[in-house]
Amino acid sequence: MSRTFRLFIFYCTRTLENEAEFLPAADPAVEVHAIPMACSSMVKDLFLLKALEAGADAVTVWVCPEGACRHGEGNLRARKRVQRVQSLLDEIDLYGCRLTLFHLGPGDRSSAIKILREISGDLAGLGENPAGIQKDRSKKQGTSNNTS
Amino acid sequence: MIVGEQKPIKEILNMTAPHHRLLVLGCGTCVKTCFAGGEDEVAALASLLRLASRKDGRSLHIEEFTVERQCEDAFIAEAAEAVARNEAVLSLACGAGVQAVARRFPRFRVLPGVNTTFLGVLEHRGVFTEECSGCGDCQLALFGGVCPFSRCAKKLLNGPCGGSRNGKCEVHADTDCVWHLIIERFTALGRLNDLRTYVPPKNWQPSLSGGPRKLIREDHTL
Amino acid sequence: MKTEPASRLERLLSQGRFVVTAECGPPRGANGDVIRRKGALLKGAVDAVNVTDNQTAIVRMSSIAAAKHLLDSGIEPVMQMVTRDRNRIALQSDILGAYALGIRNILCLSGDHQSFGSQPDALNVFDIDSMNLIRTVRTMREGGTDMSGHPLDDPPKMFIGAAANPFADPFEYRVLRLAKKIDAGADFIQTQCIYNLERFKKWMEMASGEGLTEKVHILAGVTPLKSAGMAKYMARNVAGMDIPEAILRRMAGVPKENAAGEGIAICLETIAALREMPGVHGIHIMAIEWEEQVRPIVEQARLLPRP
Repeated sequence: MSRTFRLFIFYCTRTLENEAEFLPAADPAVEVHAIPMACSSMVKDLFLLKALEAGADAVTVWVCPEGACRHGEGNLRARKRVQRVQSLLDEIDLYGCRLTLFHLGPGDRSSAIKILREISGDLAGLGENPAGIQKDRSKKQGTSNNTS
Repeated sequence: MIVGEQKPIKEILNMTAPHHRLLVLGCGTCVKTCFAGGEDEVAALASLLRLASRKDGRSLHIEEFTVERQCEDAFIAEAAEAVARNEAVLSLACGAGVQAVARRFPRFRVLPGVNTTFLGVLEHRGVFTEECSGCGDCQLALFGGVCPFSRCAKKLLNGPCGGSRNGKCEVHADTDCVWHLIIERFTALGRLNDLRTYVPPKNWQPSLSGGPRKLIREDHTL
Repeated sequence: MKTEPASRLERLLSQGRFVVTAECGPPRGANGDVIRRKGALLKGAVDAVNVTDNQTAIVRMSSIAAAKHLLDSGIEPVMQMVTRDRNRIALQSDILGAYALGIRNILCLSGDHQSFGSQPDALNVFDIDSMNLIRTVRTMREGGTDMSGHPLDDPPKMFIGAAANPFADPFEYRVLRLAKKIDAGADFIQTQCIYNLERFKKWMEMASGEGLTEKVHILAGVTPLKSAGMAKYMARNVAGMDIPEAILRRMAGVPKENAAGEGIAICLETIAALREMPGVHGIHIMAIEWEEQVRPIVEQARLLPRP
């Protein structure tokens, strides 16, 4: 039986406009939740943590290239916040490497697909998020977020 | 405002380890402004604590609540029901707030989640600096509105030590030498010679050295 | 008011003699022999010996005790006292005690910050600053009272010293601060070690322009460099230190085994230049853990014999 991992992608719509551009390329063994953002500066520590609580085995944040943020510094702020959450995760021994950030140019599908492949590979090594809620492994999509 | 920062998560985990029902109690005033204990920080910390406890297979139920100010009884009262539902309170207020909550709920364990660091200002986004030590006897008029009691590592009142370099403190190279700032200010005012004036030893009596302090406004008491 | 010189150091300075002082660091331990040994190296080579007070915020034998050891060996001490570790009550009490033991010279300092020492977690006191310590010692001497105004039975009459760093920032304030220390009661000044003669000269001219060199005895500080590494370290890491590139290059430019000799040569050239500067009334040799070099330096500078 193939294991199902759960991946949350927070992506700036300046990188890829919508999930149709990369979802089809995702590993079928990985359940992907993609959350579009008008700017990556909308990423907050709470969203990343909640994603992990909701059973994400990995969370990735996709931001536009440095210097390309239409709001000036959104991607820089996103990176600082991701770094902070990474270190918090390390402190509770939950592997900060479950959380990643990548810069993607507009419409850069090939990089997106490559990143998805890399994350799938990493997940095989990392294993399940031991702090996530119990997942229903029979379903592939649409698990409800029943966090306490 | 009072500036604080959240304690390291490991310390919080150790403190809260014995408890299975925990109220994370935020404060919506000073510590909110410095990202230590407002509603957002309560939510993020609660989430992190849930992740940590689940990872360790520990049962922990967390309730989140934030009051306007934890240093005032009228606001603390709003948390009474939430407190009653839990075994312990992790307060994200300053030390004054933690104590006020503990006083109000004598039968509950109240734990500090924040290190209260100083009285300061928001210098620019994300950077807070200490400006006042609450000495109880403000002498800012003597120093051009820049306080050497709270901003000089040696509390020097009569000019800088010999250690500053390029306007920076010898103790912390990224901190302005407060005496440099004072001199700059007096120079700009064309009054550098005022700094020739001798400043006598500080009266520390109105500070904590004189014992815990109390302010009584007779006109507001009955 | 003061009449009789408080100490030999004061007498020599008031006679217009060019004085020589040196520095002796007490041991990190209770061994009085260390002080006596260092004292023997300095005896007769200098007019007075400064005893540091837990310098660089590292615990050492107290400056009062070490000064007393020197005194017993027939050497006149200059007791250094910092405001970092004692509040005003302890400072005054120790001044009375030191005087009762025969100590007559004091150098009033604020002290290196404890974060540079071996116990950075210590509480610092800084109840009063060095300016106020100077004033306190003067009040004892001239008013005959302690800081509270209470009359003292046999008030201590110390010869009062203060430090000055001509190289610290901001330069334009340094002379004002010197003036303030003189107002507070400083009789003599021992400066930070001088490598940048140009800048020191400028500072002296400014001080003399304000009439300050008439009011205080300035002893110019020198420290012989032991190695190129030490020079580089001091230039980079010691707060308020100004070692010009040319000196660093000179130290680095000789073979390692000749570096100490080069350091001493630089020191001697500095002393010769300082002796020519109006207003410089002596030199203060801070040979850090290198006390054995003091006598040869004084000798080669043709400053021996001492009076």
